[in-house]
Amino acid sequence: MAITPNYYETLYITRPDIQEEDLAKIQQKLQDSISSNEGEIIKADKWAERNLAYEIQDHKKGTYYILVFKALPNASKEVEKHLQFYRTDILRFITLKTTEEAVNKNKASEEKKEKTEPTTPTPPPAAPPTTTAAPTPPPAAPEPPTAAPEPPPAAPEPPTAAPEPAATPPTEAPASTEEAKTENTDTQEEGGTN
Amino acid sequence: MDSRRDRRFFSKKKVCRFCTESIEMDYKNVDLLSRFITDRKKIVPRRNSGLCAYHQRQLSTTIKRSRFMALLPYTVLH
Ligand SMILES: [Zn+2]
Repeated sequence: MAITPNYYETLYITRPDIQEEDLAKIQQKLQDSISSNEGEIIKADKWAERNLAYEIQDHKKGTYYILVFKALPNASKEVEKHLQFYRTDILRFITLKTTEEAVNKNKASEEKKEKTEPTTPTPPPAAPPTTTAAPTPPPAAPEPPTAAPEPPPAAPEPPTAAPEPAATPPTEAPASTEEAKTENTDTQEEGGTN
Repeated sequence: MDSRRDRRFFSKKKVCRFCTESIEMDYKNVDLLSRFITDRKKIVPRRNSGLCAYHQRQLSTTIKRSRFMALLPYTVLH
């Protein structure tokens, strides 16, 4: 049976202070391994420069690059091999198989985004990554006046908790034990790694 | 019959968001995923997220991918 090409999406994080020529060299290797496996690159972009959720190799920031390609399965293996080889520069990488539909859908939504972005200059600072979230903030802006004179909805909660002591303890108790549990496991893990 | 309405604590019948709305679960969509993690960065359980079994499972792996790529934290203790 013939091996057919698949669609893959690779996301990798480089250290923020990577040398340009090093990055170019790595990207060239990736491209070579794709093209040598009957593949084509559909998208090779810098996705974002962001603060990492946790430190990796003492780096607090990283630059994310995305690579979408269509190639034989061997190509994804080679791509991962190259990324693994340059692990001092590449902090993390992940390759996922995608479908043609997903790739096309993403393309279409990105084109849409580009069209809508110039028309909406103010929303981006509030919620730039999600296009679906952008339309909602504007209606929220006029709301504050109504929200400010309406402290009752928040206040009634303590009163309801007080007259009904039977209802509140069960909800509080499991939460506190759960918290205690997580703290225990966390400290254990920490002790193990240290 | 109306017992649900008479309940002390109003609980809205939840329908899986990913079934009703056509949102793709993507590990790069941090804003969406962060709505499904708790203050302590744990994955929200199904009883609170209101997701169906299929999408809860999908959410779980998606969040884990996101954590691996340092887009979401594993814990508050980092
Ligand atoms: Zn669902």
